[in-house]
Amino acid sequence: MTEPLIVVEDAVKAYGARIALDRASFHVHGGMVTGLLGPNGAGKSTTISIIATLLAPDAGRVTVAGHNLPAEARSVRRILGFVPQRLALYPTLTATENLEFFARMQGLRGREVRAAVARVLALVALDGRADEPVGQFSGGMRRRLNLACGILHRPRVVLLDEPTVGVDPQSRERIFEAVETLAREGAAVLYSTHYMEEAQRLCAQVVLLDDGHVVATGTPAELVAQTGMRPRVELRTARPLPPGWLDGAPEARLVAHEGTAVALEVPHDPDVASVLLAAFRAGGDVVEMSVHRPDLADAFFLLTGRALRDEDGTRE
Amino acid sequence: MMLGGLGAAIRKDLRLLVRDRVGLVFLAIAPVIVITVAGFSLASLYGASARGTSPYELPFCDEDGGRIGSALARALADEPAVRLRSVASRDEARAVIRAHQSGLALVVPAGTSAALAAGDPARLVVYTDPVKYLEVASLRVLVQELRHRVERAARDRAAAGLAKAAAHAAHVRRRFERTADRLRRERTRVAAALASARADADERIDAARRRAAHALDAAVAAVSAEREAAVRSRLAAELVPLQRYFADLGARQRDFTAWLAAVREKAGRLADRMPPPPTMPEPPPEVAELATGEPAALTALTARLLPPAAPVTLPPAPAIDLPQPPDLPELALPAFPEPPHAVLPGSLGIDETSVTGAPPKLNTFDQNVPGFSITFLLLGMLLGVSLGLLDERDWGTLERLRAMPMPFTSTLVAKLLARFLVGVVQMLALFALGRLAFGISLGPQPIALLLPTIGIVFAGTAFGLVVAAIARSREAVLPVGSIVIVTMAAVGGCWWPIDLEPPWMRQIALALPTTWAMAAFNDLMIRRQPLAAAIRPTAVLLAHGLVYLAVGLTLFRRQNA
Repeated sequence: MTEPLIVVEDAVKAYGARIALDRASFHVHGGMVTGLLGPNGAGKSTTISIIATLLAPDAGRVTVAGHNLPAEARSVRRILGFVPQRLALYPTLTATENLEFFARMQGLRGREVRAAVARVLALVALDGRADEPVGQFSGGMRRRLNLACGILHRPRVVLLDEPTVGVDPQSRERIFEAVETLAREGAAVLYSTHYMEEAQRLCAQVVLLDDGHVVATGTPAELVAQTGMRPRVELRTARPLPPGWLDGAPEARLVAHEGTAVALEVPHDPDVASVLLAAFRAGGDVVEMSVHRPDLADAFFLLTGRALRDEDGTRE
Repeated sequence: MMLGGLGAAIRKDLRLLVRDRVGLVFLAIAPVIVITVAGFSLASLYGASARGTSPYELPFCDEDGGRIGSALARALADEPAVRLRSVASRDEARAVIRAHQSGLALVVPAGTSAALAAGDPARLVVYTDPVKYLEVASLRVLVQELRHRVERAARDRAAAGLAKAAAHAAHVRRRFERTADRLRRERTRVAAALASARADADERIDAARRRAAHALDAAVAAVSAEREAAVRSRLAAELVPLQRYFADLGARQRDFTAWLAAVREKAGRLADRMPPPPTMPEPPPEVAELATGEPAALTALTARLLPPAAPVTLPPAPAIDLPQPPDLPELALPAFPEPPHAVLPGSLGIDETSVTGAPPKLNTFDQNVPGFSITFLLLGMLLGVSLGLLDERDWGTLERLRAMPMPFTSTLVAKLLARFLVGVVQMLALFALGRLAFGISLGPQPIALLLPTIGIVFAGTAFGLVVAAIARSREAVLPVGSIVIVTMAAVGGCWWPIDLEPPWMRQIALALPTTWAMAAFNDLMIRRQPLAAAIRPTAVLLAHGLVYLAVGLTLFRRQNA
């Protein structure tokens, strides 16, 4: 593995008495998306802000491409693409005007600007709306443009702070594609989110943050594996299943059985089919079925004793 | 990169402004409306407009109906600052004041003209509403001026009459003196004439005497001449045969001579031998003379023959005793008295000279256009800079910009520069409009207006940064900023001449940039001063701007650190 482009070691940041980041350490490598996962208030935005040179850590070491922060902030800004959580756009300017302005503020000039604008517009699929005022854009389009504004200069390090908040599925997919493209092109992408699905979908590595602490780092699979949990299948049948109905699926382990509702665990996803077949053979008409695979939320819950999100999992 | 980034940031801010309709209205239309409304509302700030656009209504009651009332009415009617409203009675005049339709009413009491004509004092009556201080003051001054004018005219008329009377008296005196001289000369002449008449009478008597003697002598001479003539005539008649004889004798002598000559001729060479003819004796000369008949000969003969006439002696003329001419009485004319030297007291006038260059009548818009332009400039800076920065903060663009290579200070400076340019254009546009629409003065050097314009725009721009740094939200900017700006504008003399403020407040106002900007604009536009008058205020404004800029940048960076 290459040298990490972002190094955070024992970083501490406090706002008065409240410690937002407490001796946090992690690395971000180029060519991959690293997820910064944690509930609201975990310290994700503080971490992003420190790396984005907007905040100085109270203690610890933070380097970006070998440049120490905050001392070498100006050097870091040249290679940094920052996509803040809040939309950072001029609503009365067109998409092109926003992009041209931020491109020039990033130091691009002349044809570089036009080329960069065209490139990112295509990347976020806004090239057809380039000359419309941003104020007329949907939330998803603004999010895509917000992302585009941060990657005009092909940054080596991209900081994405909850880039899909309030975004429709289509736009989210566009954003995912753009992020994956950035990673493929070699950028070190630090992707802050509290959406477990996004981390699982995009991130080769995940940093789990809770209350300012890094509670775990690793690939999503590694983190899930740490839970020791198996996929859980829940069935509801028209009639109660007879005893011994699971004999046809010995790899499954019955967890609960109450009337027509059955819950069981299987070692692997393909084993779900064996369970369904067994129920069918036992004469049970399956009227409802759900499969819950262990995920990062489970890992987080297991590690912290708290849910990743307060809400029930619906998106904002 | 820095310059390119600055340019991009300036373009961006100008684009934001162009697309901000509310901001554009606030920058362009709102000041025009307020300047227009305020200008006309405050048209009486320097007294009623000299252009007659906002005259004071002056109820005028002429109970007198005489010369004074007419003169005042005519003068007031010609005054553009006043719209004369004739009212029938004092009660009506008072009613107009009480109805707040006017601040002052003027009554010319009955008998005013007659009293003045008789040399008696008279008084005009003025009803006022002291609450309308400026109007009352202006009209009072105007009425006083007219009163002085009427008094001066009366005095001038009296002085002219006095001068005419004095001239007439002098003329009469000169005529009297001339007449007295003539009288004296006439007396002398009469006395001389009397003496002359006496001498003439004596001379005439002597002459008569001489003429009588002469006439007598002439008569004697005539008689003698007549006698001599008669004698000469008779003698001449007596001498006629003699004269014939001598004539015949002469003819015979000539014949003889001719005969002799013929004889001699015929004698030829014998002529010499002929004896000479015999000579005849010559007649005596006295006879020959008489024979000629010459009067002289006759006169001489007559004189010898006639005895001289005996002289006639006239008896002595009787003596005529002419009476002596009468003695004329001495002419004792009294001295004509000197006409009294009456001098009316002089009238005390006032010669007013504007030593600052300001004209006597001011255009209120000369005060209002720069004043409200500055006010809206500062409010525009509040919106453009303070709210603009807060907008950027709210939009998140400020955070994004802070994470970009362009120094954050440069980003701020770019925004300030953009607003600075807009502010300068705004001020110049408002001045141009003021010139075209309201005829404001641009001073002797219009280019000089750029100095305080640049100064106040710079100070206002930097002040907007201070407000943005102090206020934490949009909700805080508007009350804080507007209170400060409104206070600065009011105290600094943007809404009314700063001289209306008490001295202590004017001292406080020196700490405000608006005061210095208005001082410069007043000097350039109202007092018509040259460019040099704007240098010091502009320097103070730039100093204000630098301080605001330093404070604003420090606070803003600290706030956003």
